[in-house]
Amino acid sequence: MKPLIVTKNLSRWYGNVLGLSDVNLEIGPGITGLLGPNGAGKSTLLKLITGQIRPSLGLVTIDGRPVRGRADLFYRLGYCPEQDAFFEGFTGREFLYWMLRLHHFSEKEAAEKAKEMLILVELEADADRPIRSYSRGMRQRLKLAQALAHDPEILILDEPLNGLDPLGKRKMIRLIRDFGREGRLVIVSSHILPEIEALTKQIILIHQGKVFAQGEIHEIRDLIERHPHVVSIKTVDSRRLAAFLIQKSYVVKAYFGENDEDLLVETRDRDKFFEFLLQLVAKGEISIEEITSPDDNLQAVFDYLIGKA
Amino acid sequence: MIREHGYSHWNGQFIERRWPWWPITRLNLKLAFRRKYFRPVFALSFLPAFFFIVAIYISERIEDFKFMTRGGRLVLFEVNPNFFKSYLASDFLLFMLILIMVFAGAGLIADDFRFNALPLYFSRPLKKKDYLVGKAAVVAFFVLTLTIFPAIIFILIKMLFAGNFSLLRSYPWLPLSIIGYSLFLTLFFCLYTLFLSCLSRNSRYVSVIVFAVYFFSDFLYAFLYNWFRRPFLSLLSIKFNLQQVASFAFRVKPVQPIPWFWSLLTLGLFCFLAGYFIIRKIKAVEVIR
Repeated sequence: MKPLIVTKNLSRWYGNVLGLSDVNLEIGPGITGLLGPNGAGKSTLLKLITGQIRPSLGLVTIDGRPVRGRADLFYRLGYCPEQDAFFEGFTGREFLYWMLRLHHFSEKEAAEKAKEMLILVELEADADRPIRSYSRGMRQRLKLAQALAHDPEILILDEPLNGLDPLGKRKMIRLIRDFGREGRLVIVSSHILPEIEALTKQIILIHQGKVFAQGEIHEIRDLIERHPHVVSIKTVDSRRLAAFLIQKSYVVKAYFGENDEDLLVETRDRDKFFEFLLQLVAKGEISIEEITSPDDNLQAVFDYLIGKA
Repeated sequence: MIREHGYSHWNGQFIERRWPWWPITRLNLKLAFRRKYFRPVFALSFLPAFFFIVAIYISERIEDFKFMTRGGRLVLFEVNPNFFKSYLASDFLLFMLILIMVFAGAGLIADDFRFNALPLYFSRPLKKKDYLVGKAAVVAFFVLTLTIFPAIIFILIKMLFAGNFSLLRSYPWLPLSIIGYSLFLTLFFCLYTLFLSCLSRNSRYVSVIVFAVYFFSDFLYAFLYNWFRRPFLSLLSIKFNLQQVASFAFRVKPVQPIPWFWSLLTLGLFCFLAGYFIIRKIKAVEVIR
């Protein structure tokens, strides 16, 4: 699918501080998770993509057109900034109404759409209270509502789940996923791995202003050859299985877990390993109760890439 | 619950408006009128206009008010260019304009800095130009409401009471002077207020600065003039410069014997530098994350 957002050699410095360095990305429709620790450059990248700040070097294009100075692109784009951004004296309803008016909605349309969005993010009961009296979670939902209200094709969400309670998080995740499923482009940044994992498998890993990896979590994991995959096997024949496996060149290490039934195997070639394991089971040499890959998740990928593992 | 309600897509069509800054102006006017004490201050600023209307009435019924003149002329009640200059460049009107800027103008940009609202504006189909025009239009609304609007009313009332067009026949350039000077005043106040509003995230500080700069400039002039007795020192005073330009616009004798264009140049330079600073300052908040 043709990428909608393209960045070419994108770099940004804040004086002597590096915000982002030489970022080349192609982002297509669907949900993309932007993952990185605090200070990694996620917000800088999102601000550059939305044209909020000027790149020191490089270029961002949306649908082949440079972003900077193209106010008309914002008809198609919804942006939820990380920091609170409100007119505190206004009520939630007024805030959404005026945000829609700035999007050139007519008075009637803006009032109707604001009401709809307040229902969607479950703020209808508090719609006429001043924003300054809203809790963190309510503010977050209102911020998300203003990004979604004008029905954008491209949605840029900077830490949208911050401050939401678990139930609220689940609802927002569902809403964002619905948006992604419709073929819209959604970029969600977060430093919390399970949030991104719940939203998408497509990630961009960013650290110290550089893109460390881009793609599917599993694909990225496969690329990290110097780090063996860990596979946990629960079997009553753990010692026998260990004896089989240790003979194979692609098995680096085999050791027992908390009890004798848990065998942990480190392998450099996951495909060959599983093929061999399948043969053993098929021949009736061993019986297996459970197989898991404890490091085949985002945390492991993340830790490997930023050098924690 | 979200699943039950669902997101409903908008089937309308986005129309590019001719004045995309207009909602910004309306939004900020709404905010201004919500401020504590603003409404009484705004109402009070029409007080001079009321007195001037009374003066126009007296000027047409001068015979009935002869007892006030003690045989001399009632210069104050003569409706001529000086009458309009007296209104548009009066100390009280300028003071009230400053007071309105304190209440309604100080937070125009400062509050957006404070609430991180710039990304909200600039993630919508708005350009920096639209944002600034929208904000400036708020200042312009208040200044023009207190300048052009009453001045035109004065002319109409004068013609109504007199039952003729003698005022316009005698001074056909008067409406142009009113419009020209009011627009100049508007430009100055727009740049003065927006410039000072850019200086801080705290609108209370800005309010103090708006007030202090105006009065300090006047105080400095008075203080130095007392010492050195040089007319050119009056260029330090914002109020004096505005009154000097008004003297030229209404073809009346200037307060100080210095050329009017020095005042225009001084204010022009201030406006240029203020405009440059505002344009440089208004950009999305650049937070290192």
